[in-house]
Amino acid sequence: MSLLVDIMTNTLDESYAERARSRSSAGPVEPADRTPVARPWRRSLLPVVVLVALGMLTGTAVKQVRAREAEGTGLRADLAQQVRDRTAASDELAQRAQDLRDEVSVVQEQALGNDALGKRLAGQLTSLGLASGTLAVRGPGIVVTLDDAPDPGTADGARPGNALDGRVQDRDLQAVVNGLWAAGAEAIAVNGQRLTALTAIRGAGEAVLVGLRPLSPPYVVQAIGDAKELEVEFLDGRGGRRLITNMSVYRLPFTVERGDRLSLPGAAAPDLPAAVPRGTNANVPSADEEGSP
Amino acid sequence: MIPAVALVLGVVLGLALEPTVPAALQPYLPIAVVAALDAVFGAIRAQLDGIFDDRVFVVSFVSNVLVAALVVFLGDQLGVGGQLSTGVVVVLGIRIFSNAAAIRRRVFHA
Repeated sequence: MSLLVDIMTNTLDESYAERARSRSSAGPVEPADRTPVARPWRRSLLPVVVLVALGMLTGTAVKQVRAREAEGTGLRADLAQQVRDRTAASDELAQRAQDLRDEVSVVQEQALGNDALGKRLAGQLTSLGLASGTLAVRGPGIVVTLDDAPDPGTADGARPGNALDGRVQDRDLQAVVNGLWAAGAEAIAVNGQRLTALTAIRGAGEAVLVGLRPLSPPYVVQAIGDAKELEVEFLDGRGGRRLITNMSVYRLPFTVERGDRLSLPGAAAPDLPAAVPRGTNANVPSADEEGSP
Repeated sequence: MIPAVALVLGVVLGLALEPTVPAALQPYLPIAVVAALDAVFGAIRAQLDGIFDDRVFVVSFVSNVLVAALVVFLGDQLGVGGQLSTGVVVVLGIRIFSNAAAIRRRVFHA
């Protein structure tokens, strides 16, 4: 304790008192009080120089800390800007692809609408498009909305150090989608991404990817089907049970609503470069080779 | 008056000139500033007590800065640099505050 007491009580450097004592004993001519007049100018300048040095030290330290901070935030802002730019560009391209698909279907309808064979083909295309998910559709159904916990870090069931607790994960979304299919959904879209047979739902870090596209919460799952039956079957099934468990354990909020007129976009037709229909030759000419003269 | 002006002048110079500090010395700069502040507060109190001595001031200033930097450097080498700088800041902070209290008592008689 004596060390701490010493720190608290003896705050003034001993040497000041010592010097004062030795000065007064050596030469009582100059009493140890406020008489700087008698000092040579060089001696009074020294403390000033030291103070300038202290100021410079402080200024440099402040500057240095600020520079380091600016470096860090500048880099982060740069990366964030890049992400925003790329996302905007990709959104634009996706929109353009959707527009072109619409255009193609209009032209297709016109080209096939003339004779009986064309009409039959058009009907076939429509049913195939409905089944494969490449055709935009509308109809009654239900909307399941999932969201992260209000405060992800402090959810009840959260284990310390697990940032994913309190967040909707890919597995939750998979369970919901599978539950909806099992309940008789005919078409499903997550945040406007239509699901096809080839659409994967998976996690990458803290983000959930649907068909390679990162989505952010809230996740809105639209499913077209018999609304009443869908709702009952879904909430009764594994998907619904999972949502209820998530709600009570991790405080993940969810809602299920019926909708009379849901409208789902079509998905891009998947590229199948290797798969050919069975019974045909493997090196059958592809569509665009056929079209060229 | 002159000391205050000198201090401000130094800060302005430091901010404006941006002297380059060797990267190896950079971590010790903040701790050196705190140590130097302790010397300055000690000097102000001595001045008010009427026992100020410029040589003591300069020597205590320089040695404070060097010792503080040395202690932190040693701590860095031993892997306890963070804790030691906390210790240095706490001890010097206590001294600065009690010196400031003494100065306040003397100036305002309160």
